[in-house]
Amino acid sequence: MRFGLSEAAWCGRFACRTSDIIIVLHSSAFDWTSCVAPVTVMATATSRPFEYLQSLPGVTLRKLYQQPSTALAIFRRMLPDLAKCFVMALLYLQGPFPQDDLETWVKSESKKQRDDAIDILKRLSILTHPNPVIDKVIEEKTEREQGGKQKKTVRLPAYQVTKEFARSLQQALMGSENSHSFGVFSQGPDQTPVSIADLDDYARRQWEGVLGYMVGTDALGGLREVKLSNGVKQLLQAGHLVEIRDRRVDITKDGFGFVLQDVNTQVWHILILYVESAEAIGMDSVEVLSFLFLLSSLELGQSYEKRHLNEVQLRTLADLSDFGIVYQDNPDAPCFYPTRLSTTLTSDSVALSNPVAGSITGPIGTSSGGSTGFIIIETNYRLYAYTSSPLQISLISLFTNLKYRFTNLVTGKITRQSVRRAIEMGITAEQIISYLLTHAHPQMRKHNATYSTSNASGIPPSVLPPTVTDQIRLWQLERDRLRATSGFLFKDFSAFNEYLAPCQHAAEIGVLVWKSDRRRMFFVTEHKQVAEFLRSQNRPQ
Amino acid sequence: MNSVDASEHYEQAATDLAPALLTVIIDTNPHAWAQLEDSLSLSKAIANILVFINAHLACNYANEVAVVASHSQKATWLYPVHQDKDTTTSSDQDGDISMNGASAAAAAAAAQQTNKYRPFRMVEEQVNRNLRELMNSTTDNDLRLTTSTMLAGALTLALSHINRRTIAWAEAHGGADLEDTAANGAGGGSGGPGTARYSAEDDERLQSRILVVSVSGSSDSAHQYIPMMNSIFACQRLHIPIDVCKLSGDAVFLQQACDATKGIYMCLDNPGGLLQYLMMAFLPDQRSRRHLVLPTNVNVDFRAACFCHRRVVRTGYVCSICLSIFCEPPPGTVCLTCGTQLELGDYGAKPALLPRKKKKKKRVNGSAAGTPMSTPTPGP
Repeated sequence: MRFGLSEAAWCGRFACRTSDIIIVLHSSAFDWTSCVAPVTVMATATSRPFEYLQSLPGVTLRKLYQQPSTALAIFRRMLPDLAKCFVMALLYLQGPFPQDDLETWVKSESKKQRDDAIDILKRLSILTHPNPVIDKVIEEKTEREQGGKQKKTVRLPAYQVTKEFARSLQQALMGSENSHSFGVFSQGPDQTPVSIADLDDYARRQWEGVLGYMVGTDALGGLREVKLSNGVKQLLQAGHLVEIRDRRVDITKDGFGFVLQDVNTQVWHILILYVESAEAIGMDSVEVLSFLFLLSSLELGQSYEKRHLNEVQLRTLADLSDFGIVYQDNPDAPCFYPTRLSTTLTSDSVALSNPVAGSITGPIGTSSGGSTGFIIIETNYRLYAYTSSPLQISLISLFTNLKYRFTNLVTGKITRQSVRRAIEMGITAEQIISYLLTHAHPQMRKHNATYSTSNASGIPPSVLPPTVTDQIRLWQLERDRLRATSGFLFKDFSAFNEYLAPCQHAAEIGVLVWKSDRRRMFFVTEHKQVAEFLRSQNRPQ
Repeated sequence: MNSVDASEHYEQAATDLAPALLTVIIDTNPHAWAQLEDSLSLSKAIANILVFINAHLACNYANEVAVVASHSQKATWLYPVHQDKDTTTSSDQDGDISMNGASAAAAAAAAQQTNKYRPFRMVEEQVNRNLRELMNSTTDNDLRLTTSTMLAGALTLALSHINRRTIAWAEAHGGADLEDTAANGAGGGSGGPGTARYSAEDDERLQSRILVVSVSGSSDSAHQYIPMMNSIFACQRLHIPIDVCKLSGDAVFLQQACDATKGIYMCLDNPGGLLQYLMMAFLPDQRSRRHLVLPTNVNVDFRAACFCHRRVVRTGYVCSICLSIFCEPPPGTVCLTCGTQLELGDYGAKPALLPRKKKKKKRVNGSAAGTPMSTPTPGP
């Protein structure tokens, strides 16, 4: 705990009457939301869907695991490396696997990783303790008077992959049964095959349309108008990403955090919102979710049959095409195409930062050039962004003072002032840094990966210059000098001893936040016990 | 307030993990598989390996795989097959092409394919088709001529593929490529065991490893000693572990390969359980292996093959100039590799300080504490 203000200023804020009356500290100068709310938005690519899945009850998860595509996607996307090893090792075992054996398999210095992995597997109901645990007969030396050995059955805890998950994952790996879990290709020859470039273009247009709608098209100027359905707008509103005031769209602080994330995280964010709202309009959220995982396992550039889909899936499909996640010629077309936004849903962020989805985030002109990032930032805080996309430029200008604009390049400088401005809007330093990181120019990645470690061994290479990232964080911390604690002030004690005893008591029970002997006042987070103490002291007299 | 701490903010750079490239070398030597027929047939083994490959692909979206067959008379690619060859070989067996001619067979194939994740299916189809072609092209005459397998060729193919993929990946993602790593590794000799092996740069580049599913015995492959050792040392230099899953027989050089490259060597007692062995021991990639206790082989056979007759020798003669190994003094005491005129003193005497004659014992089991791998320059 640290106080940035002087004690006098701190205390001066409280108006207070008698000894055990109590003020909830409320500092008008302190903006709560700016430091608390964006933290929740700052979810990394993995954690957003992961958090959602984790919140589902085990029964729902098991129901979800019945689709091989879902099991595969969750296995691939949500689990850490070690957890994957565990699942694969146990997948084809006949019986459960003793816990001890699993523990000896992992090096002792990696205990933390092991526990993390097992914890995640348990939370996702992938690994369970089977009911009949392994019975193992152990010969154990008993007490001396018996003098002999006694056979004893010990119930060893063991692990097993959940039945549903194991079966689905096995099916995914080996391919069996008639499940249509990975989509059905269109049979007939396509009259108007849609090329991958067209799909990319469609997806980018739709998605930039959504982002443009959020940021406000006026600010962007030349952005092409994309028609957004009401469903999309309502969803953005329901997710508190935008607010509608006087029929004007205003982006919220969550929204600012949202637009700075990479596309994959954004898509997941929207999809989770969609799944959450699915229940409200009478769709089974499990079914919607497993359809999303199915979409993620489809292949780009292929058209898929719609006739194998059920009612809910068709409805979802129609909604998703508004976002550019799938493409269909018209709502009644017999087939649909997945776009990159959906096929990369369960891929890695690595795969995403390569040409795959880079073309969507990146500058418009270079979609096939294979260049992923477009931002170069130097140690002198100068920023060069090779882009002509109005959306990207307006995003960069959120935290940069832009100076020059050329046909394919904008330059600017990150300053204390510009970062403060961004932070005041509710953007966090972490979001700025992660935005810069996801869009870093390949040249920067290459350069820093090869050279930055040579002098500083032991520190992993960072793509962005450490001095810039540190400084951005420090600029944010400048605003965090004040921390608010709600609690209760005790004051106006008549004698010093009268003050001292409850103050010490408060310190002992750990609720004391601040005290001033000279002015005989102290501040606590909990008042009940202190008041009790005061009463018990007063009573005998 | 902890966020200003110097340590914390470097962690996030490591979240983007490089994918892994697994190259599987399948020993398809018909002689050896014929002997193994009772416990594990080739087709069953291939099925198991394919599930294993799928599991590898399932671990990460960007994971890659390559399959090489080390056959009796040649080493050849099973997957990926280069495009020009692909179009010329077959058009009817390829599901993708026949799909357009909506015949009944194509419809059945299409229905069948939907139950499998497409990348998995493509690997499986190609491997099966190419393996069938390979087997069909093997004539009786080929079989009569040789009983060994072309492991050295397969290793070389695998290495060149890994090199190509690593460079391509580094170009696309801006990571360090093999050359950088090799340069770093060369600075510290052959890389001290354990300590500095896992530098940060290892995480940045494509994680490559080689798995050899071996069935042939060692004595057959002694004539490939030199090319094989060269590939092994290349792997060692580039930090590519060679894992060996030995189904039958015992191969001297493969043990050395695992030992030198810090790979896993496993000799299966029960080849029927191949899949479980593969899933448990060979699936974890380099990153996960750091956390796992790996099955290690303590008794490594460090015997070498002589350069003159390709015999596996326990004690031999070594040229003092180029370190070539001979099972007996070369004719005219002229080194067959470098042409140096050597002198051979009385064998068995106490070695003198003068470099008059060289006699070096190739040590066997247990003496791994010495530096048996410190001679990485065997001949041409």
